[in-house]
Amino acid sequence: MSFLGFLDGLGGPHVRDGVIHLVVVLASVHALAAVTAIHVPHIRYLAILPEIVMLGGAVLLLGVASLSDRPVRMSVTTVGTVVISGASMGLAWWQWADVRQHGPFTTVAGAVVTDGFSALIAILASTAMLLTALVGDGYLRREGVEGPEFHVLAMVSASGAMIMGQANDLIVIFLGLEIMSIALYVLAALNPRRATSGEAALKYFVLGSFSSAIFVYGIALTYGATGGTNLAHLTSYLSTHALSSNGVLLAGMGLLLVGFGFKVAAVPFHMWTPDVYQGAPSPVTGFMAAIAKAGGFAALLRVFVSSFGTLRPDWRPIVYVIAIVTLVVGAGLAVVQRDVKRMLAYSSINHAGFVLLGLQAADARGVSAALYYVFTYSFMVIGSFAVVTLLGRSGDVGHDIAGYRALARRQPVLALAFAVLLLAQAGVPFTTGFLAKLQVVAAVVDAHSAPLGFVAMGSAAIAAFFYLRVAVLMYTPRRPRWVPPGREIVFDPIVGPQASTAAREGSGVSGQAEPEIAPGGSLDGGTAEGAVATVPRTLAELRLWSGSERTVAVVERLNADLLIDREAEAVEDGAGGRRVRVPPAAIVAIGICIAVTVVFGIVPGPLVDFTHHSTLLLLR
Amino acid sequence: MVNRETMAQYLAIFVLLALGIVFGAASLVASALLAPRKQPSAAKLAPYECGIIPSREPPQRFPVRFYLIAMIFIIFDIEIVFLYPFAVILHQLRTFGLVEVLVFAAVVLVAFLYLVSNGALSWGPPKRLVEGMGSRTSETTIERVGAGASSSDRAA
Amino acid sequence: MNPSQVNVIGMDLVAAVHKTGPDIATFVVSAIIIIAGAIGVVFSRNPVHAALSLVMTLFGVAVLFIEQQADFLAAVQIIVYAGAIVVLFLFVIMFLGVDRRENIAAEPLHWQRPLALVLMAAALAGVIALGVGSHWATGQQAVAGSTTAGGHSNVYLLGKSVFTTYLYAFEATAALLVIAVVGAVVLARRPSLPSVEPETDARGAAVSGQPGPDGGLHDAAPRGSAAQDASPADVRAGQSLVKEAGR
Repeated sequence: MSFLGFLDGLGGPHVRDGVIHLVVVLASVHALAAVTAIHVPHIRYLAILPEIVMLGGAVLLLGVASLSDRPVRMSVTTVGTVVISGASMGLAWWQWADVRQHGPFTTVAGAVVTDGFSALIAILASTAMLLTALVGDGYLRREGVEGPEFHVLAMVSASGAMIMGQANDLIVIFLGLEIMSIALYVLAALNPRRATSGEAALKYFVLGSFSSAIFVYGIALTYGATGGTNLAHLTSYLSTHALSSNGVLLAGMGLLLVGFGFKVAAVPFHMWTPDVYQGAPSPVTGFMAAIAKAGGFAALLRVFVSSFGTLRPDWRPIVYVIAIVTLVVGAGLAVVQRDVKRMLAYSSINHAGFVLLGLQAADARGVSAALYYVFTYSFMVIGSFAVVTLLGRSGDVGHDIAGYRALARRQPVLALAFAVLLLAQAGVPFTTGFLAKLQVVAAVVDAHSAPLGFVAMGSAAIAAFFYLRVAVLMYTPRRPRWVPPGREIVFDPIVGPQASTAAREGSGVSGQAEPEIAPGGSLDGGTAEGAVATVPRTLAELRLWSGSERTVAVVERLNADLLIDREAEAVEDGAGGRRVRVPPAAIVAIGICIAVTVVFGIVPGPLVDFTHHSTLLLLR
Repeated sequence: MVNRETMAQYLAIFVLLALGIVFGAASLVASALLAPRKQPSAAKLAPYECGIIPSREPPQRFPVRFYLIAMIFIIFDIEIVFLYPFAVILHQLRTFGLVEVLVFAAVVLVAFLYLVSNGALSWGPPKRLVEGMGSRTSETTIERVGAGASSSDRAA
Repeated sequence: MNPSQVNVIGMDLVAAVHKTGPDIATFVVSAIIIIAGAIGVVFSRNPVHAALSLVMTLFGVAVLFIEQQADFLAAVQIIVYAGAIVVLFLFVIMFLGVDRRENIAAEPLHWQRPLALVLMAAALAGVIALGVGSHWATGQQAVAGSTTAGGHSNVYLLGKSVFTTYLYAFEATAALLVIAVVGAVVLARRPSLPSVEPETDARGAAVSGQPGPDGGLHDAAPRGSAAQDASPADVRAGQSLVKEAGR
């Protein structure tokens, strides 16, 4: 019976009606007034304009690059990125001005909050993007990486950090975290010429995915305990319900802390940091250090200080321990590193420990100090990695610390810039690094955690050692070349042994003017250019050349020493054995970083006020 | 007795079912009609190694391109998942919902354009082998094989 | 036990017991489909058949979801799991070779079967204990509510949440999908310049694949220029020099 209905309907008017109905629905969604409308959220576009510009710019760049017939030139991409980040930064400043005048507000169904805090993070993220675009330009040309992917991914990543800064909902925080992180995973693998780059990306991805899963689990448990993911809801719920010893909530909070701890590289969750920082392309490393810390700490501070504020007695001891371990491990392991990027990785762990002090203080002053730290550190680390980028040879290799010896002779300006940035990271007065460390330690002492402050100062002393070591090394002349006692022969690993008359008379055995590398010609032995006489390279040639068995014997006897010495020298020549060409864009980027670091170190007022007001304008 | 109006709602499902059966049957029939009858011999299936029967398994290479296709499939699948609840409340959201989804779809569309322009969805060997080389014919292939050394020098 | 307490996961488990003929019939049929599919996954000799059996199981689960009025979960089950994930499985199976026979009898870990049995029993006991006896209380009322609050289906409620409360998150997902696409393409791309580390050249080629008839041409360009490249790591240059001198 029922089938009859079907069959009747098959050829009947129902089909026709159905088609007409479908057409009506598709044609006029708006016109159907019969259904009750869902109340749609109000959007105040000022709140999300910086993100829209950044994300929209990235998508636009991607679209233009996809649709154009020929590959888009790198200069076009870079200029586009700089313009987009600049626009985003301007809009973030507009937000800041608006918030100062009219106060903070939430929008898009309470998922987004615009306050001083979010504006500061947006300014920071867009500035970091701008600087990275400038640094990355030369790098990408040198490495032969084509296409707009670097800029697109970096811009999306920066907007992820902005989203984390303004998120007022745990789910939005998670989305921001994922947008930021996944783009960073891919950026880490961007240099296909280096196997370490891919390895770094894989490690980062696997561990990052774990931490994201843990973070989601934390969100789920928090939701289960409080019935909402909105931070405003969390705050009000926790202030009206006594849930201080609720297992589910505490577990959720702990898992959230683990997730954040991973992103900001706090110590039990820092394992990925050295490998990823070392393996990732150098400009990406600087960007990663700045952005991941900015986004991670922004959300961490907002969630814990603002929403979990009533649970301070529960989480402050945990942060206390994490901060101590982070400070000690970061500083301790940085000392023994031989690779500059790896050293800076451990130093960034150390810096994360300092920022955690601000969280541990858990009051307005602590948050302000933490923000100041994150803000100033971003400039230092992007600048530092910009210098490292320039000194890395084609292929982004040769980052051994020994290679920085006597850098000041070859490239005095670059060496000076690097020295300033390193000293700032060490916390030398008249730099922002000093004020940053001072503020967090003061905040934590005020919050009755003085022992933590002492640990922090101790780790700063250790950290000063490894920063200064590199700085001093750059101003140390080259180690003396090996001279056999018989006849003075200077072995240069690049041009081969030289008749040492010139060497002796010139600048003694040390600090001789650097011979230029002449590829091909210099390596095939025998010929060395200019004043240096034709010299032998192998022992057989040496025998022929000197005609003296005694010299050969001496050389053979000292072969072992020679090997060691030569290896060391070869390593020394790794990073800066020759002068590198410094692209103007990178000069601008490093200049901005140093200017911010030094100017606000000498005139601290504006920046301190800025972070202070940002904190005061934090929406509670 | 079931209401005719009620049963008419199932019409769409019935039509889909019929279409599914027809498509499945047509595929079977088509493959039976069109597929080559002769089974290839064992020698033909073996990896080519200058006529010598290979003594060990040839090393397996997995073209990353296929994984790429699978990944992209999942990514656009996720977009579809979002469209299902949207379709249910399409009327209630009015124009606002339509704009939301259009923005979403437009952004993902740019990703699709990127894929197409990168050739991530094109199968087979890359079209442009060497700069300046014309379309691929059997003649050019022979030419290329014959002048293997010189063409590789040119490429270098 | 009060049925409303079990509502937390959106499926009214207890209420299912009280349902009538058609419901039970649907449950029995889909249960048979699920179990038959699961057995097929385990016992199929051909991996493709196993994957297709998995589709069957997932389809049965989707029917059960619909029976429990979890329409959206059912749709996701079909679209994502039966559609995308199993297709991914099939891709991998096809790459590894459908006709390749693994020797299943040889077990690398001979204790794994008893261990699997014990773990399975423990998990089952845990699920039954939680389902029957426990009120896993969090001090909170269940927030999911009924599956049909206010006379609306849960797809409606879900859509309402996604497109109003979580609108910002929804739009941000578009960005996530874009970088997923870009990331997939970037990672699959082959380098245009030679590798820095010589030994990774082979590895990189193996990973990026794309052999094709023109592979030689593509490979030739980077390798040929590697020798002339003025910037190999000088570490290497130094070391080779040292070796030569040490002879």
